Amino acid sequence: MAVAARHLAHAAGSTLPGRLIGPALIVVSLAFLTVILIVPVGSVLTYAFSKGLDVYLEALMTPDTMAAIRLTLTTAAIVVPLNTVFGLAAAWSIAKFDFRGKQFFLTLIDLPFSVSPVVAGLVFILLFGSQGWFGPWLQENDVSIVFALPGIVLATMFVTFPYVARELIPVMQMQGREAEEAAVTLGANGWTTFFRVTLPGVKWALLYGIILCNARAMGEFGAVAVVSGHIRGLTTTMPLHVEILYNEYDLVGAFAVASLLMLLAVFTLLVKAVVEALGSRRRRPG
Amino acid sequence: MSTSRTWVQPSVLPGFGLTVGLAGAFLGLIVLIPIAALVFKAASLPLSELWRIATEPRALASYRLSFGASLLAASLNAVFGLIIAWTLVRYRFPGRRLIDAIIDLPFALPTAVSGIALATVFGPQTWIGQWLGSFGIQVAYTWIGVVVALTLIGLPFVVRSVQPALEEVEASLEEAAESLGAGRWMVFRRVILPIILPALATGFALALARAIGEYGSVIFVAGNIPMRTEITPLLIVIKLEQFDYLGATALGLVMLCFSFVMLLTINAVNGWRLHRRVGGR
Amino acid sequence: MSIALEQVSKHYDGAAAVNDVSVSITDGEFFVLLGPSGSGKSTLLRAIAGLTTIDHGRIVLNGRDVSNVSPREREVGFVFQNYALFRHMTIADNIEFALRARRVPAKLRRQRRAELLKLVSLEGFDRRLPSELSGGQQQRVAVARALAHEPRVLLLDEPFGALDARIRDDLRRGIRDIQRAVGITTILVTHDQEEAFTMADRIGVMDRGRLQEVGEPRVLYARPKTRFVATFLGAANLLLGHRERNGMRIGESLFRLDRIALPPPSCGTEATVVIRPEDIVVARSDVRAAAHPIGSAEVVEMEFVGSLERIRLSVEANPLLQSALKPDAPVFSMEASRSARESETAPLIIGQKLCIGVKRIHVLSTRISSLRLLGTRDEAELRLKKSKLVSDLAMRMHITPTLHPAYDAGKAPLAGLPVVELDEGHGLQIAARLLQDGASQVLIVGSDNRPAERLLIYAQPSRPARDSVLSTAGSLLRHMSVDSTLLVPADERSLYGARYRDLLDIRNAALQLHGVDVRTESFREGIADELRVRLRSAPSTMLLIGMTSSTSGSALIEALAALTKQCRFAAVLVTCARSDTESLSVRHVREGAVASFG
Repeated sequence: MAVAARHLAHAAGSTLPGRLIGPALIVVSLAFLTVILIVPVGSVLTYAFSKGLDVYLEALMTPDTMAAIRLTLTTAAIVVPLNTVFGLAAAWSIAKFDFRGKQFFLTLIDLPFSVSPVVAGLVFILLFGSQGWFGPWLQENDVSIVFALPGIVLATMFVTFPYVARELIPVMQMQGREAEEAAVTLGANGWTTFFRVTLPGVKWALLYGIILCNARAMGEFGAVAVVSGHIRGLTTTMPLHVEILYNEYDLVGAFAVASLLMLLAVFTLLVKAVVEALGSRRRRPG
Repeated sequence: MSTSRTWVQPSVLPGFGLTVGLAGAFLGLIVLIPIAALVFKAASLPLSELWRIATEPRALASYRLSFGASLLAASLNAVFGLIIAWTLVRYRFPGRRLIDAIIDLPFALPTAVSGIALATVFGPQTWIGQWLGSFGIQVAYTWIGVVVALTLIGLPFVVRSVQPALEEVEASLEEAAESLGAGRWMVFRRVILPIILPALATGFALALARAIGEYGSVIFVAGNIPMRTEITPLLIVIKLEQFDYLGATALGLVMLCFSFVMLLTINAVNGWRLHRRVGGR
Repeated sequence: MSIALEQVSKHYDGAAAVNDVSVSITDGEFFVLLGPSGSGKSTLLRAIAGLTTIDHGRIVLNGRDVSNVSPREREVGFVFQNYALFRHMTIADNIEFALRARRVPAKLRRQRRAELLKLVSLEGFDRRLPSELSGGQQQRVAVARALAHEPRVLLLDEPFGALDARIRDDLRRGIRDIQRAVGITTILVTHDQEEAFTMADRIGVMDRGRLQEVGEPRVLYARPKTRFVATFLGAANLLLGHRERNGMRIGESLFRLDRIALPPPSCGTEATVVIRPEDIVVARSDVRAAAHPIGSAEVVEMEFVGSLERIRLSVEANPLLQSALKPDAPVFSMEASRSARESETAPLIIGQKLCIGVKRIHVLSTRISSLRLLGTRDEAELRLKKSKLVSDLAMRMHITPTLHPAYDAGKAPLAGLPVVELDEGHGLQIAARLLQDGASQVLIVGSDNRPAERLLIYAQPSRPARDSVLSTAGSLLRHMSVDSTLLVPADERSLYGARYRDLLDIRNAALQLHGVDVRTESFREGIADELRVRLRSAPSTMLLIGMTSSTSGSALIEALAALTKQCRFAAVLVTCARSDTESLSVRHVREGAVASFG
């Protein structure tokens, strides 16, 4: 903040073209954001409510839409806790210990970030599809993974795998190990140390990680599109349902569901803003 | 205990075996084994066949679009992302906090939502589409639409990489440069840019990696005309829908290889960054 | 005995961070571990708390071997450098943490918390968060928290490091008061010698992973055993003294010392003498009234620091007045200090010629006072100077080696530690001649220029030989971070023969008499075979050989010469016990000698 303040003071005293640079840059930024982000996102709400609130609510109340919402919530309810457990385990081992291959481990955790969601779906088709490795066995035993809930869960887990871990690791690394060591010298066991000393320090980062993971899990499109089979009312999650409605030219329905997903995104950003504000407030006195 | 001692530094904190085992098991089951399945499936094909599928004209056209549009989008983001980051760090103006928060929206917004939003806004029926059309520019259902969608989803990566780096640039450095008689442009080019370049490179690489794999937001605006506006991930989906699993696998392998290259690049850039930061102290 | 450390060692990536440290700390003692950064003191403290595992040795707390006990069960209180307070917990919760972990009922917890807050004078701070407290208050909370579970041992890792100099004084006193009130055995780690002096019952000085010396602050300051401790604990002038029949000669004066308190002649005629700046007297014409005159000097610089004045002097060297840091320098500098009142009554000006006298000297018992590089052939001494082993040793002992031409009987100095090149065994012959002509020790450096990683010690089976080699080992080991092993023959029914008990006795004797902790190992075959086996498996080894006399040692030298043809090693140091040392009491050798004026 001091940086900017000093800079402003400096800019004010500069020549006229120098003084115009700031406003010019702000205008360019705002224009770019408006075209690429704000107008499109705003249009979602415009279209969703273009025929009035009644139509909006009606569009949400259709059985297929409700089924899609249910499926999305179910998926998230399975995926998010599992990825949270993974994230906590990975962050504890990476942030609190030194071991060979740590960097490699981190890279592997990042892998889903750079793999296309379509490829993420594809790999599960190749494993569990009718022609996949386990395909024949699954068919014999009448277990369906692909084109059913388990496949959707697996693909979603793959795509949202790193989010909790990635939010936790830097915060836990910054914490260092001294507080935990102090707890151990004071006689605390592992669980006490973790729950009473480590976790309270990272709870906001953990919360944001979970919320972000949840947002991505509910909103995942590509990977789920590949494994779901698009069985209407059965294996369509909310984003898939948006696509179906859109392709059927049910614009109000499509944008109504989309608006719900957008609400989720906005909520996620709100949590992030709160977490960051709390983080910076706590850092200042120290 | 005595065996693990060789690869982990002994520590008084408990739970290393449990957590690293758990995390490793998750990683193996959810990520590594499925990816290995793809590689093995591809390996079951003769190499010449693999090459034939991966280089058929429709595939080549899709690579051209995917890579070209992604590069263009990442470059646009590098320029505008830098400007936005600069604006957010250096200037106080009304709505700054809001803009700062909105930057992350593409990250949290489901891709399908941004896809239909872009398709609708830039579609030929809307006033924006018509206005642009009067200049002979059609965005929706052309390669331009692909670039716009990829720019949207890549934006947060550049801004969020560059922003902290810019905040770390000390005012005294700039003041020193200015006191030595450097002009604004020179201060930026010779003092600030070299400092934030690694961060910018990281942001660019992240945006590029994300753009090439992107599916959801693109298919709504691209029009999906074979050979012209068909991205590689879409081609994989089409092949799957035709039950051409081998074709899909071959293309999947190409994308996977690219993911690994990007991952290594990002790691290398990060390493360079870290190295510079340590070296600078 | 509250805390006993026995040969505690800790290696990181093969380098010793803590090297064979043994020390005992009694109940209620305030012990300060003092050393420069990277000396291993914090690692040692963490090892005592169990936060770091050790590779070797034992840690005994209150009679219980806790070497493999988790820190949770060691019953120690640890105060971290940055306090490591739990930032999200109130002061009350921080202090009660250890009691909660032990499931102490709430009522007792509250009671104990109140006691502790009173002890650290922070009553009423219960509900505050650590971030709302000043650095000094946080530190007191950390102390209170560490004491909550009534540990038997309190460990403090640089607790004042992050605080302003102004409030440190208060806090030091505060901690000392708390320690006295509770009566808890305490170890404090610091790099600040003033802090160590003001707080410690006893100080242990660490450097390069070794516990160099242990003692009461006054004793360590007045009678250090090593150059490192002499200079680390305060300003010190190090000169070379020359032993004469009835005293130690420095410059013009002969300092009479009690015969019994002199270092043994086996150390050669040369010794390192420590003179504190406050023991130097300067005068325009004659200092005889106040001190022993040693020569003249010129004033180079004066610094006024409030209570006293520091004077930097430039002294012209002569054969009897040499700096121990740079024996061949024609001019060296010395530091003197005097009270502000003296500086007022007799002001000095820069460039002024003065007579300097010394009130009090302290003779170091270290056997290595200077390194004399002797050429065997042309420019060998320059090669020696470049040798990694020699330059490392010189740097660590704060010695500048001096160059001398090839040894020619009677001409080159026999004082200090003569160094020759191995030179295909040729060096061993020169060494044998040097020893015959009266040198008490010779260092023969291997020509392949490798630093030593291990030290193998062997003495011919006699007490003087063993004593002389161990006392040299004591000087060496304080300055080298190497593993050291004393080889004891198993088959000889001699004075210190074969049995385990004997091995332990020898180790104890080495520790007590020479302040050096070595590991003892026995062997069965001849020493030549044993050395061959060990050198083949680990070539970067330095041998330390003690001989009874130069004649009985010639066979040993020949055996060594044969050995050089078969295997490589870093260096050999041969010491030779002279017959007249046997009559000297070793106890006094250890303590060094102090001569005072008047």
